[in-house]
Amino acid sequence: MEGFVRALQILFSGDHEILGITLLSLRVSLTATLLGAAFGIPIGFLVARRDFHGKSVVTTTINTLMGLPPVVVGLVVYLFLSASGPLGFLRLLYTPEAMIIAQMILTFPIVCGITISSVLSLSPKLKETLVSLSAPSSWEARVLLNESRLGLITALIAAFGAAISEVGAIMMVGGNLLGYTRALTTAIMLYTNMGEFATAIALGIILLLIAFGVNLFLTYLQMRSRIKRTT
Amino acid sequence: MSLLKDNKIIFVIIVVAVVIIAAGLAIYYVNKPAAPPRLIIATTTSTVDTGLLDYLKPYFDSKFNANMTWLYLGTGQALEVASRGDADVLLVHDRVREDAFVSSGNGTLRTTVMYNDFVIIGPPSDPANARGTNATAAMIRIAQAGASGNATFVSRGDNSGTNALENRLWTKAGVTANGTWYVSTGSGMAPTIRVANEKGGYTISDRGSFYKLRSTMNASLSLVILCENDTSLLNPYGIILLNSTKYPNIKSDLATDFLLFMVSKQGQSLIGNFTVDGQQLFFPLYGNPESIGLPSENATVNYLNSLLKSRGLE
Amino acid sequence: MSFLECRSISKSYDGKHALRDVSFRIEGGDLLSVVGPSGSGKTTLLRIIDGLEKADSGEVFLKGKKISDAPFLHRKIIGMVFQNPVLFNTTVFNNVAYSLRFRREKDETIRKKVDEMLRLLRLYDLRDRRALTLSGGEAQRVALARALVYDPDLLLLDEPTANLDPYNVSIIEETLQKSNRERGTTVIMVTHNIFQAKRLARNVAFMLEGELVEIADSATFFESPKDPRTLSFIRGEMVY
Repeated sequence: MEGFVRALQILFSGDHEILGITLLSLRVSLTATLLGAAFGIPIGFLVARRDFHGKSVVTTTINTLMGLPPVVVGLVVYLFLSASGPLGFLRLLYTPEAMIIAQMILTFPIVCGITISSVLSLSPKLKETLVSLSAPSSWEARVLLNESRLGLITALIAAFGAAISEVGAIMMVGGNLLGYTRALTTAIMLYTNMGEFATAIALGIILLLIAFGVNLFLTYLQMRSRIKRTT
Repeated sequence: MSLLKDNKIIFVIIVVAVVIIAAGLAIYYVNKPAAPPRLIIATTTSTVDTGLLDYLKPYFDSKFNANMTWLYLGTGQALEVASRGDADVLLVHDRVREDAFVSSGNGTLRTTVMYNDFVIIGPPSDPANARGTNATAAMIRIAQAGASGNATFVSRGDNSGTNALENRLWTKAGVTANGTWYVSTGSGMAPTIRVANEKGGYTISDRGSFYKLRSTMNASLSLVILCENDTSLLNPYGIILLNSTKYPNIKSDLATDFLLFMVSKQGQSLIGNFTVDGQQLFFPLYGNPESIGLPSENATVNYLNSLLKSRGLE
Repeated sequence: MSFLECRSISKSYDGKHALRDVSFRIEGGDLLSVVGPSGSGKTTLLRIIDGLEKADSGEVFLKGKKISDAPFLHRKIIGMVFQNPVLFNTTVFNNVAYSLRFRREKDETIRKKVDEMLRLLRLYDLRDRRALTLSGGEAQRVALARALVYDPDLLLLDEPTANLDPYNVSIIEETLQKSNRERGTTVIMVTHNIFQAKRLARNVAFMLEGELVEIADSATFFESPKDPRTLSFIRGEMVY
């Protein structure tokens, strides 16, 4: 209990280290989410719209990848970026960029998979309406993406949530180096291990606030979209 | 165009996200050019958990204009990471594996810098009657009590230096440690102690981690030291310099600086002065491994001493 | 060469015949009403003319060219209003403007045409409302506006006024007539409502169980139909 009180004191002290850790976490996870979406949304859209050989295989694979364990991703990316690994020459290991790469591997399937299912679940009548208006495919895409925007926002938030709360991937490829690659989750782990509970709790509160805030926002959007018809 | 108006919210989200990212990047790049070179030490949990490295950091950083950082790993992982060239220097406590590392050619030089000691801790009620005996006897008694269902032993089970020491004790005691009484956490020292605390079981811990945890947990930690000061419980630490030919991208000069710092008079006395809860945890041992029954390292020590002299770092 | 010709159109779903050998012709500027009981294939026929589905056999010719050769090109001059239409999640204005935007018309022109169409269908007050908040009748009018705004040569409507109150029905009917008479839009309208057919249509076609039973000009159809089934349907005696 007193640990909790101390945690609040730490929070309000405006400690630079804590600020740095928070900013790093946000930077890494936001970037990973945006990049994952930059690829995930167009690819997901195309997979949903086009028919091609092996479409169901691709969709199933993406859905399976949504459940990739972060620690496994971390290990694999580490082996690639390690000095004795194939991409060692890039010298990316133990940098925030490596963390972003690892988290991107987590966010991409999430955004892509949810995009696919959102677009697929659009009413066929909508798609037929677009066909009958003879809209070219890029214009069709704009309408379909607009109509599935709630699904897309959900995808972004789910991806961000997964990224900001994972610890296995960034621990391995980031190294949790003080003032450089130490993020909220890995810092919490470290301070907990060191027995410095007050700091760990303080960081935990921040993490919870972020996660909570983001989900609150999603709920707000979902409620807003509950359309009310007039008569 | 109309798409954007309809999705004002998404637009705003993305703008906010980009601003946060930009802020993070800006701070990063502002600090970058002035940043002193970063030394990455692959080390084990006990040097970090006790706060020793945090204590030494400001001295090293200011003396060598560097940024000392460390990877918080188990001994096995530290050696593995170093063998891949992902760290600049090693600070671990498992002599057998350290020697193997050097003889494999991955490391060029190793020397003993300090030791700490381990303690056997357990419930105050001490059902196995381990108190007061030597370490080997204590382990035998714990195993016997465990087999008859009166005691639990909690192991780190994570291939760490601590784990290796524990296994050496079991071997010395002639015990095969398995059964329902033997619990393996696969985690670091603090979590393992906490599990032992919950179960009222026995475990082996480095003194430093135990003291540190005790100062945080206070009365909620019920375990006490039952066996200590046995030579087989002494735990020497070595620093290994990595082969700079094999790993051209590591900061081998900075790594050498770190080694010299740790074995210099200043470093050695800092190590000795470091206390937790008023207790000294680490004991300087450079140049004197024989004092606790370890083989001598005269050749290395002479070499390092001359290096210290030439660098004016005595 | 007629404006639209259907030649021996047949279509089955899962072994059930939706359309059997349907053939007819209409000229440009016609207003054809297609009547018949539910399940008689009226909707299927419209969908095949719009190229949304392919006939199992037979061909549709629009202005002399086979639709199946290039359905996309033909759809550019066809407008379709579905039963229970789906509008886009944006303003009424944007819904109607959509089909002009990708036809690359200038913003000024688009604004003029859309506003004109909105006024025609008494939708101008709802211009900036979210389309998904509209009532059924309003939504149907928007769907009609959306299909008419790019001035299609052929307009297809599937039960456009079913379940609407008289106010909406009259606006829609007025607009259809205006479009047909002043712009020469050819209209094919599927409807349940014989009275509506009588009111609006120049020609009427009766379909029953996938078969085109009879097609004639309105007067002949209602006063002296050739087929007894037609008569039975008109009289409301048909049991189905």
